[in-house]
Amino acid sequence: MITVRGVRKSFDDKEVLTGIDLDIPDNTTMVILGPSGQGKTVFIKTLVRLIEPDAGSIAYDGDDILRMSRREWQAYQNSIAFVFQNSALFDFLDVRENLSLFLRMHKKMTPFQMYSEVSRAITFVGLGDDVLDKFPEELSGGMRKRVAIARAMIKRPKYIFYDEPTTGLDQNNAEKVSELILMLKNEIAATSIIVTHDIKLMRDVADRVALLREGNISFTGTKEEISAETLDFLYETRGEYDL
Amino acid sequence: MARKPSEHFFEQLGERSISFFTTVYEIATLFMQTVRALPSLWFYRRQFLEQLYAFSVKTLPIAAVIAIFIGLGATVQSTYQSSELLTRAVLVNVIFKTTILELCPIVLSLVLAGKLGASLAAEIGSMKISEQVEALETMSLDPIGFLVVPRVVAGLLMLPVITIFANFLAIFSSFFVSAVATEWISPAEFGSGLEMDFKVFEMYFGNLIKPAVYGFLIALMGSYFGLKTSGGAKGVGAASTNAVVVSAVFIVIFDYYLGKLLL
Repeated sequence: MITVRGVRKSFDDKEVLTGIDLDIPDNTTMVILGPSGQGKTVFIKTLVRLIEPDAGSIAYDGDDILRMSRREWQAYQNSIAFVFQNSALFDFLDVRENLSLFLRMHKKMTPFQMYSEVSRAITFVGLGDDVLDKFPEELSGGMRKRVAIARAMIKRPKYIFYDEPTTGLDQNNAEKVSELILMLKNEIAATSIIVTHDIKLMRDVADRVALLREGNISFTGTKEEISAETLDFLYETRGEYDL
Repeated sequence: MARKPSEHFFEQLGERSISFFTTVYEIATLFMQTVRALPSLWFYRRQFLEQLYAFSVKTLPIAAVIAIFIGLGATVQSTYQSSELLTRAVLVNVIFKTTILELCPIVLSLVLAGKLGASLAAEIGSMKISEQVEALETMSLDPIGFLVVPRVVAGLLMLPVITIFANFLAIFSSFFVSAVATEWISPAEFGSGLEMDFKVFEMYFGNLIKPAVYGFLIALMGSYFGLKTSGGAKGVGAASTNAVVVSAVFIVIFDYYLGKLLL
């Protein structure tokens, strides 16, 4: 379980996170929903120490990760995976090397075992082995996102974080990504934490939802508990939500 | 109320001073982090081998062209300025030492600061703005160990190798133009000019010490400005420019102090 208490973060004079409290139970898909500019990306990056918060605590199963040394945290990172908004595939490596990098650096595996893992991951995300020899620049946005999910999957993480996983994708690819998030959760029984502005994605995958507004959580509950009025308030608009 | 121009001046001066000392502090911090991460070089050996290749094979053609023309240029200038006061062998000795100790190391390093420093900063800068550096961290890989250490050590080791190669070519081209093409000096006299007042330490200084320091500076500055990149393509351009300019400034400053301290 991830327990967040009083997390604050400012950039210059602007306070982006204003004291967030949140509990993320194990084996759930927690969607943190909010419109652009509310601090979603900053928040999810503080959860994995890509951004250090100014105050507060973040505990994974009771271990406060902010009190860990960089070295301790690096060891802990083996249990988490992060899917970035722009996929963040290493553009100097082909897809095979992108997928096998973690295994090569951290696992004692034979080349055959590594090949099997890579092949299994790429098949899982619905791509063929022919993609393995391509470089990220040769792939479409949807394919890159799927490779990024395969790269996260290969770590067999306990926690998997997604930053705006459907942003910039057409409807077909966005739906495919939603399916993959659900399939991956079932495959590796990971706790998934997703930040998004995409209400449809929330509706498709969320077990629990937290609404982020002006740097703080304004609501937590199940997706069924969110009223249209709440979403209207969150997005400062009216109507068009089909819950 | 409008502020006095002097207030504006002091405000800017203060801001620039803070920015300058912050940059110096950050470069010193990156240096310390790089030193601490040195033991991880074996872990990131594949990246290291790639950087050795980038710092050597990819730079040899340009190093060869520069070295040949340094040798030719230095010889033509020196013979033009020769007088009855100096024997030709002494003049060859002056050309030899100037080339080995100063011309080849510094000209080559400045050119490679442009080529390698800019490319390092752009490469790491692009990775930074596309979140690839953060992706390394989430894969339990240390960005300093993965990106900076292999480049810095490759720079430190390969610039001396390239400089030795360049010095050899420069002296050979000098021999060619003075003893073969123009017959201004006989091969035997040229040889005695090279042997005159020969000091082994000077060879270490020009071929190893200076280039190693410059290679280190080029890689460290390229890495620093790459890791500091923000703001998209414009930021990558600025990082490349800053890496080249700051490396070049450091190289000429170190050139003076190394000579003063060690010779």
